[in-house]
Amino acid sequence: MTQPLLRVTDLRTYFSTEEGVVRAVDGISFDLQPGERRGVVGESGSGKSVTAMSIMRLIEPPAGEIVTGRIEYKGANLLEMAEDEMQAVRGGQIAMIFQDPMTALNPVYTIGDQLMETITLHQKVSKREARDIAMQALADVQIPNPVARLEEYPHQFSGGMRQRVMIAMGLSCNPDILIADEPTTALDVTTQAKIMDLMLGLADERNTAVLLITHDLGVVAGFCDTIQVMYAGGIVESGSGDEIFHNPQHPYTWGLLGSMTRLDQAQQVRLHSIAGAPPSVIDLPVGCRFRPRCEFAQDICGRVLPPLVETGAGRSVACHFAEELDLKAIDVRHRETEAEEVIS
Amino acid sequence: MLAYITRRLVYGLVTLLALSMIVFSLLQASGGGPLDRLKLNPRMQDLIAQLTKDWGLDQPLWRQYLTWLWNYVTPNDFSPLWVPLVAIAIAAGVTFAIVKLVKYQWKGAAILAVWVLAVYGAVTNMTIRFNWGISFQGFGDVWDLVFSRVGATFRLGFTALAIALIIGIPLGIYQAIRQYSFFDQLGTMGAFLMFSTPIFIIGVGLQIILALYLEKWTGVKLFFVTGMNDPGYANLSLIQRIIDTIQHLALPAISIALISLAGYSRFQRASMLEVLHSDYLRTAKAKGLPRRKVVVKHALRNAMIPIVTLVSLDIAFMIGGAIITESIFGWPGVGRLYITAIAGIDYPVVMAIVMVIGIGIVAMNIIADILYGVMDPRVRYD
Repeated sequence: MTQPLLRVTDLRTYFSTEEGVVRAVDGISFDLQPGERRGVVGESGSGKSVTAMSIMRLIEPPAGEIVTGRIEYKGANLLEMAEDEMQAVRGGQIAMIFQDPMTALNPVYTIGDQLMETITLHQKVSKREARDIAMQALADVQIPNPVARLEEYPHQFSGGMRQRVMIAMGLSCNPDILIADEPTTALDVTTQAKIMDLMLGLADERNTAVLLITHDLGVVAGFCDTIQVMYAGGIVESGSGDEIFHNPQHPYTWGLLGSMTRLDQAQQVRLHSIAGAPPSVIDLPVGCRFRPRCEFAQDICGRVLPPLVETGAGRSVACHFAEELDLKAIDVRHRETEAEEVIS
Repeated sequence: MLAYITRRLVYGLVTLLALSMIVFSLLQASGGGPLDRLKLNPRMQDLIAQLTKDWGLDQPLWRQYLTWLWNYVTPNDFSPLWVPLVAIAIAAGVTFAIVKLVKYQWKGAAILAVWVLAVYGAVTNMTIRFNWGISFQGFGDVWDLVFSRVGATFRLGFTALAIALIIGIPLGIYQAIRQYSFFDQLGTMGAFLMFSTPIFIIGVGLQIILALYLEKWTGVKLFFVTGMNDPGYANLSLIQRIIDTIQHLALPAISIALISLAGYSRFQRASMLEVLHSDYLRTAKAKGLPRRKVVVKHALRNAMIPIVTLVSLDIAFMIGGAIITESIFGWPGVGRLYITAIAGIDYPVVMAIVMVIGIGIVAMNIIADILYGVMDPRVRYD
C-alpha cells in the first residue's frame, strides 16, 4: 500500500484551564490519502477543530498543548519540525479555510495584498507575477471583475464572496491538503452548496486532499469519500460514506443518522434526539465515553474504553458490541415511539 | 474627503465661537473685577476710572465681547491671509507624513517631515502677532505672554509624550504577546501603581530621590528641580546648553510620562490582545507567515487604530499645560499662567489661553478623525 499523504497517530491535544485539563483531542489516529475527501463529523466540542489546529500546529502554548502523537506529512513528523520548516508547510502544502469568513480577513489590507502575501511567501515569483496568480485565483473562485476587486477591502465583499477569497487564498499555492473547518456554516443555505461545489471542484483539479470538518451530516453525505465520526475527543467510527450512512456500527453514529431530516421518509415521523448531553471533556467517564447516553450499554462499557478496531476494509468502529449489534435493522425512530408509549 | 474636512472646519469654528461666548459670559458673571484690588486704596479712584475707560469695562457686555473677538482674530503686523495658509500647510504636512508612515512609505514620510520642519522654522522666525490685548495684571502683551509660555509647555508636553509613547506602546505590545508572563504581571502592577499615584507624589518623590539624595550621596548634580534653564543660559556653549536643558527637563517630563505611559501601556495591551485573538490573525498564521511578521504587519496596524484617537486628544489637552507639574517644578508653562490669570481675574489672558486650548482640541479632533480613516479603510467620510 502506498504511503498516506498524512498520517495522524495517537494525537492528544490538551488544554489546561482553571477547572482542569480539557482533553479536547484524546488519542486519535487516521490517514489521509492523496486526493481523498475526508469528512470529520461530530457535535460541538468533539475535537474536530482542535484536530485541524493541531495538524497546522496552531495550538498556542501555554493554554493548549499537543501532549503526544505523530502527525506525519509525506513521512516527516510535523510535530518535530523546526518552526521555519513548519511555516513553509503551513499555507504552502497544507492550507486551511476557517469557519467565519466575515472575520477571517484582515480589515485593513486589500484582498490583493492578502492574497499576494501568501503567494510571495511560498512561491519564488516577482510582485507582478504574484499579482497575476492572485487575479487568476480570484477568477477561479468565480469572483466577477477580479482585477478591480484585488484593490478592494474585505468589508466591500459579502460573506459568500469572502469565503471565496479564503478558498482562493487557500488554493493559490496548490497545496496537497486543504483543511476546511466548517467552511459553509456561517453562510446562508443557498450559497452553501455553491461554495462547497466550487471548493471541491477546484481541489479535484489540483488533486488536493480535503479534510472537511463539519457538524452537518448532509454536507459530508454529499461531498465526502470517507467519513470519521468524532465524539468527546475520540474517533468512534470511520469508513466510506456509503458504509457509514447505510450500515452504522456505532450507536452514536446510528443516533446521529436518526436525528437527520430525510426527504425520503414520511413526514409524520418524529426526529430522534440522542438522550443526555456529551460528557465534559474535563471529567471523562471511565470506559466508553458514549456509555451514559447509549441504550445498548453493558457492564463492560463502564469499565473498558473500546479501542478503534478494524471491522472491514477501511472501516473501523470503537464499540465493544460492534459485531453483535445489527444497528441498521433497528429503526431508531420506531423504538423511540414505543418507549414514549410505555412511559405514558 | 476635502468636503469632509471643510465641513469639520466650519463646525470647528462654530464650536470655538460658542466656547468664546460662554467663557466670556462666565468670566463676567463670576463676580468681582480686575480692578477690585485697587479699590482698597482711596487714592486710586482716578486710576480706576481711567483704566475702566481704557479697558472698555464700562461698555455693555456684548460690545466688550465683539471688541475682544475682533481684536483676537486680527493680526497686528501681518497680512491676515498668511495665518490660515501656514496653519493648513503645517497641518497637511504633518497629516500626510503620518499617512506615509502608516503605509510604510518611509521615504515619503521623511521628505514630508523635513518639509514640515522647514515651514515651522520659517514661521517661527517670522513676526506674526495678534492683538490679544494687554494683561490686566501688568504682565504685558498677551500674545507675547501666552506664546512664551506655550513654547515651554510644548517642550515639556512633547518630551513627556515622546517618552510615554516610546516606552508605553512597546510595553503594552510586549505584555500582550507574553500575556500572563511574569513580565506582564510586573508591568500591570507597575502601571496600576503609577496610574493611582497622584502626580505631586511622583513629582516630589523624583525631586527628593533623583535630585536631592543623589547629589547628597554621590556629590553629582545630575538634575535640577526648578525652572526651565539656568539663569546664565545665554553665556553657555551649545553643548552646555543642551545638557542644561536636559537636566532641567528630565524630572518634570519623567513625572508626566510615568503616568501617561501607564495609561498607554494598558490601552495598547488591551487593544493588542483583542487583535491577537482575532480570526484574521489566525488566518495570517495559517498562511505560514513568520510570527514576527504576523505581529508587526497584521496585528500592530489594527491595534494602533484606537491609540491614535487617544494620543490625538492627549496632545490637545497637553496644550493647556500640566498645571500641577508646572507648579511643582517651577516650569514657566501655560498651566501656571492660567491659574495666575484666573486668580487675578485677568480676562484677556484667560480668554487667550481658553481659546488656544479650544483651537488645539478642535484641530486635533479633526486630525484624529482623518488619521482614523487612513488607518481603517472601513471608516468612510460622508
